[in-house]
Amino acid sequence: MSVLQIQIIISAVTALLVMAGISMMSKVKTAVAGNLLSALAMLIGVVATLLFAGVVSVWTVYAAILVGALIGGTMARRVQMIQMPQTVALFNGLGGGASALVGILSALRIGFSNAQLAAIDEGGFWPFVQCTALLAVAVGMITLVGSLVAAGKLHRVLPQKPIVWKGHSVCTLIFLVLTVCFVIAGIFVDSGAMGVCLAGTLVAASLFGLWFSVRVGGADMPITISLLNSLSGVAGSIAGMAISDVFLVAVGGIVGASGLLLTQIMCRAMNRSLMSILLGGGKKSAPKQSLTTDSQNEALVKRVMDLEKKIKELEELVKNLEGRVQTLSAQVDAAEAGKDAAAAAKPAAEGPTAASVLSAAKDVIIVPGYGMALAQAQHQVRQLADKLESRGARVRYAIHPVAGRMPGHMNVLLAEADVDYEKLFEMEAINDDFKKTDAVVVIGANDVLNPAARNAEGTPIYGMPVLNVDEAPEVIVCNFDLKPGYAGVENPLYSRGKGVYLELGDAKETLARLIAALG
Amino acid sequence: MIHPLILVSVFIVCSVLGYFIIRNVPSLLHTPLMSGMNALSGVTIVGAIAATGLAFLADKGVVAQIVGCLAIVLAAVNVFGGFGVTHRMLMMFNKKKK
Repeated sequence: MSVLQIQIIISAVTALLVMAGISMMSKVKTAVAGNLLSALAMLIGVVATLLFAGVVSVWTVYAAILVGALIGGTMARRVQMIQMPQTVALFNGLGGGASALVGILSALRIGFSNAQLAAIDEGGFWPFVQCTALLAVAVGMITLVGSLVAAGKLHRVLPQKPIVWKGHSVCTLIFLVLTVCFVIAGIFVDSGAMGVCLAGTLVAASLFGLWFSVRVGGADMPITISLLNSLSGVAGSIAGMAISDVFLVAVGGIVGASGLLLTQIMCRAMNRSLMSILLGGGKKSAPKQSLTTDSQNEALVKRVMDLEKKIKELEELVKNLEGRVQTLSAQVDAAEAGKDAAAAAKPAAEGPTAASVLSAAKDVIIVPGYGMALAQAQHQVRQLADKLESRGARVRYAIHPVAGRMPGHMNVLLAEADVDYEKLFEMEAINDDFKKTDAVVVIGANDVLNPAARNAEGTPIYGMPVLNVDEAPEVIVCNFDLKPGYAGVENPLYSRGKGVYLELGDAKETLARLIAALG
Repeated sequence: MIHPLILVSVFIVCSVLGYFIIRNVPSLLHTPLMSGMNALSGVTIVGAIAATGLAFLADKGVVAQIVGCLAIVLAAVNVFGGFGVTHRMLMMFNKKKK
C-alpha cells in the first residue's frame, strides 16, 4: 500500500469520526461526547498531516499552534454566555481568514513539496490548483470580513441597523462579479499573472464581504451567522482541494452543507428568502417598492422610508400615551376597589394587576426574546418560574426558532440559568396550547409574537409563523418599551387592552418587582 | 497529488452526508451545533500546517513563512476557541441531569 493510500484511508476514517461526532450532537445526552469526538478527530487529522506532509521537524509550526491555542482557549473560558453570538462570529471569521491565507500560499505555489509540484506539472493540474486557490481566497475573505462586521454589530461596536450606501445593490453585484471573474481567470493565466488575479480576488472579495454584511440588520443576524459558518466550511474545503488534502475537503464539505441547512431552517422560520437578506430586498419598504429598487429609485424609496419612520415614531408616542392611560386607569380601578390602597399611593406600582393574574394562574407559558438577552434577565426569569411552580403552577417556555440573535440563543441563556431543557418547547409543539393556558409572560420579545404577521400584507413579517400569544386570555408583557421590533411593524397586541398587562422597563427590574409582588 | 475529480467528488459526497446528518438536530441544540460546526471549520489548520511546514522546509522566504504562521494561529484560535465554547455550552445543558 502506498503512502498516499494510507493517507486517504486515515482521512476517510477521521471524516467518519467527525460525522459520528456531529450526529451525536443531535441528542442532549450524547452531545458532549459528540463534541469531544469531533475534537479528537481533528487532533488525529493534525497529527496525520504533520506526519504525511513530512513537516514534523518544523518547530515553528508547534509554536504557532500553541499561540493560537492559548488565545482561543482563554477566550473560550473567559467569554460570557451573553457574548456568545459575537464570539462564534469572530472565531468563524478567523477560520475563514486562515483558509484565505492557505489559498494565498497555494496560489503563489508556496507550500507544496517538490514531489507535489512535479505531480501537478505532470498531471497538468495547475488550472485546477490556481482556480481553487483563488476561490479559497475569495470565500475565505468574504467569511473573514463578513464575520468581523457581524461580530462588530453584535458587540454593538457598529450600528445594528442596516447600513445602505449609495448604489448599494449595484456595487454589491459588481464586487461579486469581479470576484468571480478573477477566480475564473485563475484557470487560464500562467504563474506570472497569478499575482494580479490574487490581488484582484483579495480586494474584490473583501469589498463584497463588507458591502453585503453592513446591510444586514440585527434580527437577520442568526441567518447571516449561520450562512457565514457555512461559508467558512466551504472555504476550508476549497483550500483543501488546492493543496490536495482529502481530510480538509471532507470536513469542510460537511460543515458547509450543514451550515447551509441551518440557514435554510432559519429562513423558513422567518419567512424570508436568503436572497432578500443578502441583497437587502423586502426590508422596511413594501414588496412592490423593493422589487423596483434600482439606483434611480433608491433615493425615492429612502424618502418614503424616512416618512414611514416618522409616522411610526408618532404612532409610538400615541402608543406610549395609551399605555400610560391604561396603567393609570388600572391604578384608579384598584384604588376604587379599595383592595390595595398602597398601589394608588405609589405611582410606579403597576404590579398588582399582573401579579394577581399570575398568582391565580395554574398554567403559565413564558415567551423570551432578544430583550431578555439584552437585559440579562434569564436568572430573574428562572426565579419567577420557580416562584410560580412553588405555588403549584405549571410553567413552560415557548421558544420561537429565530428569537434572539443566533439560532438557539434563548435555549443557551435559559440553560445558563439552570432551566430544565424539558420545559423548553419549540413553536410547533406549544402553539396550540396558548389558548388553553391561564397566562403568558412575554419577556423582551416582539416580532416573534406579533399577530400582524398573519394579516398585515406587505410588511416584512407578513407570513412569518408567530407564537399565538394573542390567543391567551391574560398576557403580561415585560418589554423595555412599546416600540416596534426590528421588523418595524406595530404590535396590535399591545393596544388590545383587555387581558394585556404592560410592565415596561428593564426586564430585570420589572421581573424582580413581579416576583416580589407574588410574595 | 490526488486527482481533482476525486477531490471534487469527496466534497459532494460529504456535503450530502452532512446535510442529512444535521436534519435530525433539534432546534434546542442549534447554538451548540453551530458553535461545534464553527470549531470544525477551523479544520483548515490542517492545510495551514502542511503549507507552512513545507514553506519552511523549502525555505520560500520570510513573508511566506509569516503568512503561514498567521494562518496556523488564526485556525488554532478557531479550533481551540470553538471546541472550548461548545463544550462549555453543552455542559450547561447537562448540568441538570446530575
